[in-house]
Order: sequence, then C-alpha cells, then structure tokens
Amino acid sequence: MFRTLLNSQQAGLLFVILLIGTILSLSAGTHVDRVTGGIINNFLNSYTLMQTATDASFFVIMAVGATVVIISGGIDLSVGSIYALAGVMTAMLLRAVGPDSSFMTVVLAFGMCAGIGVLCGLLNGAMVVGLRVHPFIVTLGTMWIFRGIAFVSSSAESILVPPALTDVVKWSIGTDALYPMPFIIMLIITLMGALYLSRTVMGRHIFAIGGNVEASRYAGLRINRILIGVYVISGLTAGIAAFVGSSYYGSASCADATGYELYVIASAVVGGASLRGGRGSAINAMLGATLIVLIRQSIRTLHLDQNYEWIIIGCAIIMAVVLDQLNQHWTTRWLTKKA
Amino acid sequence: MNRLLLYLSVLVFMLSAGCGQDTAQQADNTLTIAMIAKSSTNPVFLSARTGAEAAAKELAAQHDINIVIDWRTPPTEDGQVQAQRIAQAVNEGADVLLISCSDAAKVTGAINDAVDRGVPVMTFDSDAPDSKRFAFYGVDDIKTGQLVMEELAQAMDGKGQVAILAGNQNAPNLRKRVEGVMQTAEQHADISIVGTFYHIETPQDAAAEVVRVNNAYPEINGWAMVGGWALFTQTLLTDLDPSKMKVVSVDALPPELPYVEQGIVPVLWAQPTYLWGYESVRLIVDKVHLNKDIPVINPMELVRVSKENLGAWAMQLRDWGFTDVPEKYLQ
Repeated sequence: MFRTLLNSQQAGLLFVILLIGTILSLSAGTHVDRVTGGIINNFLNSYTLMQTATDASFFVIMAVGATVVIISGGIDLSVGSIYALAGVMTAMLLRAVGPDSSFMTVVLAFGMCAGIGVLCGLLNGAMVVGLRVHPFIVTLGTMWIFRGIAFVSSSAESILVPPALTDVVKWSIGTDALYPMPFIIMLIITLMGALYLSRTVMGRHIFAIGGNVEASRYAGLRINRILIGVYVISGLTAGIAAFVGSSYYGSASCADATGYELYVIASAVVGGASLRGGRGSAINAMLGATLIVLIRQSIRTLHLDQNYEWIIIGCAIIMAVVLDQLNQHWTTRWLTKKA
Repeated sequence: MNRLLLYLSVLVFMLSAGCGQDTAQQADNTLTIAMIAKSSTNPVFLSARTGAEAAAKELAAQHDINIVIDWRTPPTEDGQVQAQRIAQAVNEGADVLLISCSDAAKVTGAINDAVDRGVPVMTFDSDAPDSKRFAFYGVDDIKTGQLVMEELAQAMDGKGQVAILAGNQNAPNLRKRVEGVMQTAEQHADISIVGTFYHIETPQDAAAEVVRVNNAYPEINGWAMVGGWALFTQTLLTDLDPSKMKVVSVDALPPELPYVEQGIVPVLWAQPTYLWGYESVRLIVDKVHLNKDIPVINPMELVRVSKENLGAWAMQLRDWGFTDVPEKYLQ
C-alpha cells in the first residue's frame, strides 16, 4: 500500500511542493524574531507555514467541491460569488439579529453560510439539468447574479461579523499568533471529500457519469439527481469557505473572493482533475491549491518582481498539467511494455 | 521514479531546515518597510512608491541607516490579499508596515496581529481607523469631496445635473469623498445629483462608465470624479464637449493634464501622491528610528491645478520622477 502511495500522483505533487519548499527554505534568508530575539528562517518558520496553509485553506475547501463538479464533467464558475453572497448575507443577518450566545452565533453563521451555499448550488444544478444549458454558461450567469445580489443587498458595504466568529476561527495556539483552525477545517473537508468520492456509492456514480454519461444512463443511474447533487456539494463547500473566510478576516463584502473561481478550478486541474470528467481527487485538489499558494508565496519570499506574479502562476499551471500528462503517458507506455 | 524523487526531496527539505538556521542575516541597522498599496496597476501608487524610495535614500544618508522599501502591493484591489501580505511581511522580518487599505474591515485584524507581534503599522491614503496603526497620512476625504463639488458648482454657474464617478465601492476613503460631494451639492439649490456610479478602478472601465452614463442621462452637464481614473485615458478628450460638460476631478497625473488644457476639466484637485510615500517614510523614521512622537492623523494638503499653474505642476511631477509628463507643458 505504501509502495502504491509513493507511486501515485499525490507523490508527484508532494515532490514538487517539497522541492519548492526546499528552495524557499534555502534561499529565503533569515531575520531576528522581535519577541524571542532568535534567528529564524524567513520561510521555514511556524508563522509562515501556518499562514501559507491558511491562505491555501479557502481555495482548498472550495476546490474539493469544484473537483466533484469537474469529475462529473461539469464546471462551476460561480463559487467565488457564492462565497461573497453567503458571507454578506450571514454578516447582515448577524448584524440584524445578533444572538447573545457565542455558541448560537457560530451555529447560526455556519448554518446560514452552508444553507446559502446549498441553495445556490441547488439553483445551479436545477438550471443545468432543467434548462439543458452547458454548466459553463449557467454558472457564468449565476456568477454575476449571486455577486450582484450580494452587491445590492449590502450596498457594497464591508460588514463586520461578530467577534464570536473570529474567536473560533482565529483561535490561536497558546499566546502566539498561530491560527490553525482554517487549516484544520481544510483537512476535515478534504478528508470528507476524499471519502465521499472513493468510499461511497454516490461518489462512484459521479466518476461513472463523468467517464461516460450515456453508459451511466443505460446502467440506470439517476443522472439528473446526481448532477444536481454535485452542484449542491460545490455550493456547500463555497458556503463553508465563506464562513471560514469572513470569520477569519472579521468582515464580509460583495467583492470577496473575486476571481477565486479561477484559482479553485486551477487547483483541481493542477491536482490532476480532467476537465473532460471522470478523473480527479479531493486530496490532489488540496495539493494543487497548496502548490499554487506556494508559488505565490515564493514570489514574495524570494523577492522576485511581483509584477510577474500572474505570468509565473500561469506558466506554472500549464507546466504542472503538461508534466502530469507526460507522466501519465510515460507510465502507460512503461506498463504496456512491462505487460 | 516518483518514490526516489520523493525520498530525495524529503531529505533535502529536512536538511534545509537545519541549513536555514546557519545563514543568519545580520540584524544590522537596516529598516525594512513593507509597503502595501491598493493596487500595483494604479499609477498613483507607483508614484507613492517612487516617493517612498526617494525618502528612503535621503533619510538613509542623513541618519546613517539602511532603509529598504519592500514593495508588496497586490496587482488588483483585494482586502483579503492585503491581509495575507501583511502576515507574510511580518513573517519574513519586515520592521514596519505601510499600507493603504482596500477594505479597512478586512485588514484590521491583520494589522492588529502585526502590532501584537512587535511590528508597527502606518496607513496612508486609505485608513483603518479601528486598528492599532500608529499613524495615518492622507487627505481629509470629506473635505476633498466638498472641494470637488464646490469647484464644479462654480464651473457650472451653480446649476445643472451632476453625476459622481466613485471608483471601488468598498474603499472607505472614496465613500467619504462621495459623501462630501453630496453635502456640498445639497447647498446648491439648482444642482441635482443624477447618481453615483461605481466601477472597476482601471482607466478603461472608468472611461467606459462615463460614456455609458452620459448616453443614459443626456441631461448631465457635470461630472464630479472622486478619483482620476477616467482621465488617465485620452478617449474622453473627444467624447466630452467642454461647452456642454464640465468635469472636476481628484488627482492630477500627467495623462490628465490635456483635459485641463482643453478646458474640459477646469480644475483638478491633485493629491501629491508622491508624498504618500515620501512623507510616510519620513514619519516612520521619526517614530521608529528616532523615537519621536508624531500625530496620529497627518493631513495631506491638496493642490489646486488649473490652466494658470499647469506648467509649474507639470515640472513638479517631472521632479517627482514621472517620466510621461508631456514636453509641451514643461516649456
């Protein structure tokens, strides 16, 4: 099993992540810590590693849902807008009702974010299935609609969320400014996504539909129900990401997560998900998002000219996918020869 | 193959953890100022960077320290990304942070974390008043809006229909300027506001918004622009008729000067954006290096630019490092 794991695609991504981590650790230089007076590496320190994980967590949570959609052969461009809408609506609700109990505040906020995410996903799925329009078009439309609703309802105001939410999501280890909660939630969501896709009947059905929708239909799968389900999952993860994001940063606005859909889709694709459907993994999506965030981090840490950020990320995404394809090609040839 | 590479990389990563500690950088007399403006594609922030670098050079020679401006501005406006960059700068050993907040609510937590970890923070242009930042340098935004509307009212002889070009709806400083415009407009009985129009803060988006609004509201004969984005293009030089339309805008960068020359924009209220960087770095050195007391709010004065002082302003811009000042204004 260990051998299989090491030969898997995860191992390839992990190798690249560790390689970049190594380069950053060796090249980042050091500085004197203001509090302890100790000399610490600019990259390889608990703060930077935790902060990198936190930055990745918002993408990863959404990427797990987006991967489920991509495996089914669809695409969801509205996840960033669902994030903004869920955050804004929840912040407005909490401002209006403001429960006294911290516990109730957190429960209400989580329920509201997840609920709005599910509703948006349901709408996406229903339109994809009901209108028989390509999901790219449907979710492109809802991307603008959801953000527009967030804009109109909040009057473009950045709305503060109650401190109870920040206290939970920004819970720190000891007295240090180390906040592991987004990372923990990211791991839980990734694990749940991985189990759902690989260990449940529903998960296997999604792979089947993405692999061959007609064959799945003849096999008696309820295609429409499953397709609606995948958009609901995508909406749900966007809603959970909104809960984590707005709680962590302490506010929500209609401009939140603008452009994140592209990072999320890129994370899934870098993680090996096929836009043709039938292939993908929640754990790979997590590694893909981590890789993208690490590349962004390296531009800062290595003091590269930040004006090149988009070029570097674009090239890295193309390279990652091409290398993955080559790796698959070589593996197939090697296995064929061996057989 | 994968297995070998993985073993190798884990080994090197573990070794690097040890090696990293040995290459200790001297905690010498270097003052690293991480500068996080709203957007690296907006020319006003590039001039702020030029100002910061000029001040760093001057003050370094004056006080015998090394001052480094570490530019960490995101390419587009995003409060969440700014918050992430604040954390990154602190983690990587920045001594001071200088930030113009895209979304004050979003970055307040990150600013407070930085201060709690011993890194002082100063804001410029757009403040985070509820944070633990030690100082702010920038214009009084309500007053700026009032000045824009007052000049526009004069140019329109106190009557007409006005539209407000308002940029990013999330920026608290721009919202205050709009508030200032509204307040002054209310004092002019024959002037009415047809609407406030937000847009993505790029020159093309802003100019397109102006054209769209003009087509939708043909009765408009005045624009109060709380930022100069639309005038960074040349398209409105032909699209706006100075005999029918008057514009007063904040900012006076080189691409905007022909609008003043042609009479479309009788007055520009210039924020000396170079000073955002220059003065902020000076205040930071006073506070952090020289341990002087400085005021929390440090107001920046606007400069009134019209046909009368166009040449002098153009020369000032050139002296501040702008390379695109049209030669004809420098004669």
